[in-house]
Parts: sequence; structure tokens; C-alpha cells
Amino acid sequence: MSLLSIEQLCYQPKRPWYKLGADDTFHLGPVSFSLEKGETISIIGENSCGKSLLAKLIVGAETPTSGRILLNGQPLENNHKKQRASNVRMVFRHSAHALNPSLSIGQMLEEPLLLNTALSAQGRSEKIFKTLKLVGLMADHFYFYKHMLSDGQQQRVALARALILDPQVIVADEPFAALDPSVRSQTVNLLLKLQKELGLAFIFISHNLGIVRHMSDRTIVMHDGQIAEMNLTQTLFLDPQHNASKQLIHAHNALLSLQ
Amino acid sequence: MILLDIKNLTLEIESNGVLVKALDKASLTLEEGEIRSLVGESGSGKSLIVKAISGALPPRWIVTADRMTWRGQNLLTMNRAERRKIMRRDIAVVFQDPMAALDPSSTLKEQLTESIPEEFVEGRWFWQKRRSRLDIARSLLHKVGIKDTQYCMDHYAHELPLDICQKFMIAMALVSQPTVLIADDPTRGMETNTKRQILSLFKNLNKTRNLSILFVSHDLVAISSMADKITVLYCGQTVEDGPFQSVRKKPFHPYTKALMDSAPSFSPDLQPKSALIALGGTIPTLQHLPIGCRLGPRCPRAQKKCVETPVSRKINQHTYRCHFPMHLDDKGII
Repeated sequence: MSLLSIEQLCYQPKRPWYKLGADDTFHLGPVSFSLEKGETISIIGENSCGKSLLAKLIVGAETPTSGRILLNGQPLENNHKKQRASNVRMVFRHSAHALNPSLSIGQMLEEPLLLNTALSAQGRSEKIFKTLKLVGLMADHFYFYKHMLSDGQQQRVALARALILDPQVIVADEPFAALDPSVRSQTVNLLLKLQKELGLAFIFISHNLGIVRHMSDRTIVMHDGQIAEMNLTQTLFLDPQHNASKQLIHAHNALLSLQ
Repeated sequence: MILLDIKNLTLEIESNGVLVKALDKASLTLEEGEIRSLVGESGSGKSLIVKAISGALPPRWIVTADRMTWRGQNLLTMNRAERRKIMRRDIAVVFQDPMAALDPSSTLKEQLTESIPEEFVEGRWFWQKRRSRLDIARSLLHKVGIKDTQYCMDHYAHELPLDICQKFMIAMALVSQPTVLIADDPTRGMETNTKRQILSLFKNLNKTRNLSILFVSHDLVAISSMADKITVLYCGQTVEDGPFQSVRKKPFHPYTKALMDSAPSFSPDLQPKSALIALGGTIPTLQHLPIGCRLGPRCPRAQKKCVETPVSRKINQHTYRCHFPMHLDDKGII
């Protein structure tokens, strides 16, 4: 049985009654795929093809119109927010914008624990220190605010916030987009290390095909709200089948071969 | 012919009563018809150099340089009118954040038609001129790869997606048919396909119109596909400078090596899911700059001598500033 399986997921925003004319709203799906334990799936595709929307649907930030998401065979429903929130966590696109500037890092990390667990105050701070250490920050960072940290450290805090509830799946929307090359390599290493140690499954969205090729086991190419192609990463990069994936990968290879 | 020649550009910013050197002896030259890329991480002063060239720095900041010339004319002592004339016709700049650089209060059509120089407009009467302006605008937008030109021109910057705005900025920069294009991170956040379009447009312009490009970015894949020369900047110091191929194959400075290692696409033999080689630590903030070589605390090869600022040395067009360069023996032979 796979860890997370997505079955016929659809998203069609309801048209307001006063809107006339052709239907130009964006439709997603139906999308189905499954994710195993310790596996990394990356989603690539051009802009506005529904990648971020799919990520939001998986973590439950948006409600799908139809279709099911199963975690370990159990359907994830929106009325079981706790179960969902503690098992599927999200890292947002710009960690700098996704952190609350008026809370210290400690408070920010404590919030999910308060809402989702029955830990005592002592237990919570222990958990926070453990998680900070896990992502390579120091215990002192508990008292820091967002503006006191560099980009890479903010990214680590965002990751710590995702990890603190011991999730099984992490969904990351362009986690490397805002990072500089040397810090990016550090984050890639960190993610790979965490995956090895904790057996996490990742779904991540990226434009950087070099990193996608390096990190992911399987790759999904999205086009116009549909899965255009899904295959093992190495196979897909060597032999893309669908037109959309051909375009992306040939563009990437063309950039590389122009050297 | 050397178009832009900058030597030992130093930029001092006052912060809490102390002068901080945001740029410390940065040097850069741009020759006619060459594509030079300026690489560095955020906060390394890439954008400051761009702003220093375009004269967009706040007057409180102290700019000093041994040499900062445009075709032999000194940019620092030039009066504002002359400088503006150069900026208007010869140098075009694509600024980093299109949302911040575009005027939010007028449509893109107004902004683009306004910036078309008078000489390019045909016709005698205002309606002929208006039509000619619109034609020029449309063809430019087509050139940079915006499909729905009418839609784009009728809207305000905040109503359009970021990548369209980015392309629009490039179109605005190209409108005056400049000799030099300074592009500050033009491909940020673009997907691979669009990126390739923009880069091949730059390359074409470079070939057909002999446009020189200063390409400021940290996207190494994009740089590798087009740059002839590369200048690497770390924390306001130029650490290495030279032809791209030789810098890539044999970097002298440890920072350049780390930068090249950070792109997995550059090392085809790398096992998938293996750890990448990365420098520890992060970029120091302006208030806490280390003395001497600013890479010092993060550098794997640092020694005691590194607290002195290294002077720049040159081996066959390849300049570096490091006490203990890589790929060189004691006598300085590759």
C-alpha cells in the first residue's frame, strides 16, 4: 500500500451566476498518482499549469471539487484537520513571506504543537529545541525574530515548522527559488539527509531542472491542469514522451549544451 | 574597444555612524560586442554595481573609483545632463524587480510608447506618429515573446503575471536600440522554456546588432549558455575574472569553485541524491564584514595570511584575488 495516493482529484472553481460568456476559469485534473515512503516526487511544468494549486489541494489549503486523497489507505477529509495537518505539511514558496514577522521563531514553532498535540510546556520546548537542531539551527534561535535571520536560515525555520509535527509527507512549493547557490546546496543536502534519517516523502515543485534531476525519484510533468507525463526521473530526462515535457527538457538541455 | 571600464570601484555606506564598504575595489570591463556575466549571491553588491553605473544611487553614498569611464569619458565627473544622455541612448538597464520598477499608475502601453526615442517615429502628423509608435511597441513586444500584445499593453503592471512584466521590462530596455544592455537578473523565476527564449533573444541581438551585454545573475546554467567572460563577486569584492571556459574548468578562487559545484547540471558524473559540495555558513551581513579576504571565515583553504586583503594577480586574461589559489603551484604555474 502506498503512503499517499491521490485518486481522480479535480478542482473546478464554481462560476458565479452573474458571469456570462465563455468559461475561462482554470480547471485542474483529474489527477491521480501515488507516493511511497521515502520517495521524492517533483512536479515540473510551465507557469500557471496548476502546480501550486495541486500542492495546495494535497495539503488541504484548497478543497477539491471531487476525488480523494488517501494517506495510508485512510481518506484525508477536511473535517479531520488535525490528522491532516500533522501528517502532510507544506513549505511555502517564499519562506521570507510565509513567516510571521511579529512572532519569535520559538513562538512560531510552538503554535502547531499547541494546536495539534497534548504535550506539556516542557515537552513542547524540548521538541522545539530538537527540531531546531535537526535543521541545523542553534537553540538560541528560539528567541530570534524573522528579520534577524538570513535567507538560508529562514528557509531552515520554514522547514523546521514543517517537520515539527513528525509528518510523513512534506509538500514544498519552490523551496529553492529564493536561495543563493551556496545556501541552496546546503538546503539540498539538508533535505537529502532528513529524508535518509526520517524516511520522509517529499513532493516538491521546482523550475530548476538541474536540482529536480538530482533530487527526485519520479517526476511529474504538468500541462494545462493535467498530468502530461509521469515517469522515473532519469528515464524522463533521457526520453521524454509528451510534447510539454519534450519542450521543457529540450530547453534545459539546449541551455546546457550551448556552453 | 573598451566601452565600460571600472577599476577599484569602492562604495561606502554610512551605517550607525560607521562607514561600511559595500563594494570594496570592484573592477569590471566591458568590451564592444561581448557578453559578460556578473555573478554573485544576493547582498554581494551586484545590483550596487549596476546602480553605480546607471547613477541611480542615493547621493549620500560615497562612490570612489580609480577609473569609471564610458568610451573614455569619466562618468563620475560628468554633469547630469550628459550622463542622462548616455543612459538614455547608449546604456539600457533592466532592473531587478519589474513590479517595483514599472510605473503602477499608467498602463504598459503608455510607458512603452513614451520611451520610444523621437528619431524612430515616422510620420508628420500626430495620428501618424501615434500609429508608428504603436507599431514599434507591438513589434518589440513580439520580439521578446509576448503573444497577446494588445492585452498586455492595455493593462497595468500589477494586473499581469510576473514573467510578462519581466519580458516587458526587457522590451522597454531594448526600445532605444542601446549599445550596452545591463540586465539585472532578467531570468529570475522564469520557467526553462521562457528562459531559453529570452537568452536566445539576447544572443541574437549580440550577434546581429553587436550589442554588448552585462548579464547580472546567479543562474549558472543561464550564464554558461551565453557568457564569454565572467566576473565573480563575493561580498563586494571581485574575486575572479576571466574567460568563462577557463574560469569554469580551472577556477583559482575557492569561492568560484563552490559556485560552480552548486549547479548539479555542471557535473554529469554526480550520483543522483548524493550530497552536493557546499561551503558552510552564510553570507555575512554588511555590519559584520570580516577583514581581509571576505570569504575567509567560510573558506576551506583559509590560513593566517587571509586577514590581509589579497591584491589582484593576473595570468593570461584570468584575474584572481586570493593568497592561496587552487590549480596553481607555488611558482604560479597552472
